[in-house]
Amino acid sequence: MSPGLVVEQIFNGLVSGAIYALMASGLSLIWGTLKMLNFAHGEFYMLGGFGVYFALLLGGLPPLVAVPVAMLGAAVVGMLLERLVIHPLLDKPGWDVSPIIATLGASILLQNLALHLWGERFKNIPYYIEGGVNLFGIRMAWQRVLIVAVTVVVIVVVVAALRRSRWGMALRATAQDRDAAVLAGIDVYAVYLWTLGLTAALAALAAAMLAPIYSINPWMGTALLLKAFIVCVLGGLGSLEGAILGGVLLGTTESLTVLLWSSEWKDVVAFVLLILVLWVRPAGLMGTREW
Amino acid sequence: MLRRALDGGGVYLVLAGLLALVPLVNSDAYFVHILTLSLMHSALASSWNLICGYTGLFSFGHQAFFGLGAYVSSLMAMKAGLSPWLGLVVGGGVAAAAGFVIALPCLRLRAPPYIAIATLGFAEICRFTAMNLVGLTRGELGLWGIPEMTPVPVPGVGQVSFTGQRVPYFYLMLAIYVAMMALLYWLVRSPLGLALKSVRDSEDAAESLGVDIVRTKILIFVLSSFLAGVVGAFYAHYVLILTPSSVLSVGVMIEIVAMTLIGGLGTFLGPTVGAFGITLLLEYMRVLGDYRLLIYGALLIAIILFIPEGIAKRLLPRRVAL
Amino acid sequence: MLDVRGLDVLYGDVQVVWDLSFTVDAGEIVTLLGANGAGKSTTLKTISGLLRPRRGHILFDGVSLETVPPDRIVGMGVLQVPEGRRLWPGMTVLENLRLGAYPKGARGEEGASLEAVFSLFPVLAERRGQLAGTLSGGEQQMLAIGRALMARPRLLMLDEPSLGLAPKVIERIFEVIQDVSRRGVTVLLVEQNAHLALSVANRAYILETGHLVRAGAGSELLADADVRRAYLGV
Repeated sequence: MSPGLVVEQIFNGLVSGAIYALMASGLSLIWGTLKMLNFAHGEFYMLGGFGVYFALLLGGLPPLVAVPVAMLGAAVVGMLLERLVIHPLLDKPGWDVSPIIATLGASILLQNLALHLWGERFKNIPYYIEGGVNLFGIRMAWQRVLIVAVTVVVIVVVVAALRRSRWGMALRATAQDRDAAVLAGIDVYAVYLWTLGLTAALAALAAAMLAPIYSINPWMGTALLLKAFIVCVLGGLGSLEGAILGGVLLGTTESLTVLLWSSEWKDVVAFVLLILVLWVRPAGLMGTREW
Repeated sequence: MLRRALDGGGVYLVLAGLLALVPLVNSDAYFVHILTLSLMHSALASSWNLICGYTGLFSFGHQAFFGLGAYVSSLMAMKAGLSPWLGLVVGGGVAAAAGFVIALPCLRLRAPPYIAIATLGFAEICRFTAMNLVGLTRGELGLWGIPEMTPVPVPGVGQVSFTGQRVPYFYLMLAIYVAMMALLYWLVRSPLGLALKSVRDSEDAAESLGVDIVRTKILIFVLSSFLAGVVGAFYAHYVLILTPSSVLSVGVMIEIVAMTLIGGLGTFLGPTVGAFGITLLLEYMRVLGDYRLLIYGALLIAIILFIPEGIAKRLLPRRVAL
Repeated sequence: MLDVRGLDVLYGDVQVVWDLSFTVDAGEIVTLLGANGAGKSTTLKTISGLLRPRRGHILFDGVSLETVPPDRIVGMGVLQVPEGRRLWPGMTVLENLRLGAYPKGARGEEGASLEAVFSLFPVLAERRGQLAGTLSGGEQQMLAIGRALMARPRLLMLDEPSLGLAPKVIERIFEVIQDVSRRGVTVLLVEQNAHLALSVANRAYILETGHLVRAGAGSELLADADVRRAYLGV
């Protein structure tokens, strides 16, 4: 096995790691602010896939416009979900389990709505950039390079916004002490609304970037959601850095497993890794440190 | 007299007795099949309710124990000629052993999402293993040719054959369900059950009362896994074909959660009410075709928005629901 | 400025405030006194909109607050420094202060407010880059007050500012309270340390298990034999 092959496989691991990180950072943000697991998060991803498909092929938009359009569409659905389903359950008894059922219901509803509206035939879109680059004998498709680059840029922007902007600080304040945020004049319900919008947009971005490589279908979010949950817990729920680290870790572990053993067993290795990490560090790699 | 007998669990026996009469009134094969499935879901959801509702451990990997019971019993019957009757116990036993192994790391975790994801991880390991060991399980093609339950002599009825029959399976499932609920009924009222309640309400308080929390939780986890394994074994010898996605996927877990929460988490009859409600609803909504799951999703949302405490408490008198 | 009329507040089924009426005029320091569980904190939370009254009215400059969302109440200039400080422990001192200027009316004056707070509490300027969770108790209380001042309050409500602090620090905090009052901010003070509160307050109200039992000028109550026996331990 040549070293070039190993590097190539690590790079492929980074590509899936980037997608995992985009999904998991959304779940982590929602956990941080609302203290709930969002089981409909995979459907934001699915909607992003269909969104970019329709914007590209029916709307005739260039990728540079189609991807933001898909993100915007998913953000609107995320905000609707917050207002119609999650908001009425907030501050009521049973909050530790009620959002689970509510978002599971939303997930089933959205999946079957997509199935009904758009059919079960898998849909494909062309690469945003054709061709690839050959670096010291290592082949990398431009589309995959693009995925990693866009993810890095977006995550840097999101982290900077959380650290520096008034809105990001309000979100962190709500996550750290909600009552204190209310008493400082922060409309926490607006924070919840925008958090759902942002995380849905991030999930849609992940799908829009990956759609040229995999196909689009109503069930595409389910398997990825489970992976994203694993990544969150690996890194430490509520920790953004943890979500990114966990994503990269899971992605590279999977692709190295494919290289060294077999693609059928990569998921088993991923889950065993999860249980081992939790055994050694019950709070995940980055703990539940404030972010 | 009657009142006291009803309060002492008698009301549940009366309900079970009424259920036992149903096939005598309507023995339509499809109808009896739906009832059997409802009972099976009731038993499965009740076993999960024991860990989640009564102990407060949010396990999201209960399908692992159901699927393990199903696969172990089927494979033992097919490869080693084990009687399906013994398979019910062996399947449950293997599931219990797996429950013990996974309980150890999980109980170190405190936050509900961590427990949920760790148990889910374990269940996914089981699913992929069943998918990948094609030589043994035939993977996603499905394990078929699972033997049916062998004939048994029943006093007063004579030799009962299960071959191609629905009604005997219904009574077998009813017997399993009643035995299990009797066990749970006794357990919740026993000193162990009271200890459990105190653990759920406050771990610190329970600790100060001298309850060995970890031992109690492991015991409950193992018991709950055993029960799910038995139900899984029954399922295998009833439907006679297994695929990893039909018994080991997260979809099974989602149904368990939906049934339990809609019926009423932590209530005695809640999982049963939810299981019957959802099973009957999904079967009889088949006429709606494509719209069926769409409406199902919307209903889940509507119920959690408008009846968050579960329908059992609304539907049944308080003494019966709890 | 603040006019509370016939307030009933319940926690679930338990009523903790009964038919409470009191007023705070512009420029005053008014204190609510009473033992633990008398309903003082509950009253402040209800004014801030964290809790809603079952009955009664809260008028701020003649505007009814009972249905106004809590963030809008803050926007009107009603600020609370909650019991236990409730800082954001994972953010720096500077971030805590900057978020204090979150209400729209205060955003434009963030720089000036920051300077004013730093001149009031120089120690906060020294520790601006430190995480709030790592400050001492006294510094945390100063930061909590500073954060509220960043919002340019008209009515500042303080819940047990002396709790758990050393006498020297308490003295400093109360100097600041009087200083803030001199700058034209109206103060509503909740305290268990009745002696201290009465010595700075223009007027005081005494609560017992949710009922108003006495009212009067600070100096008058400080001299009253019954009050001294019941609340001052002399």
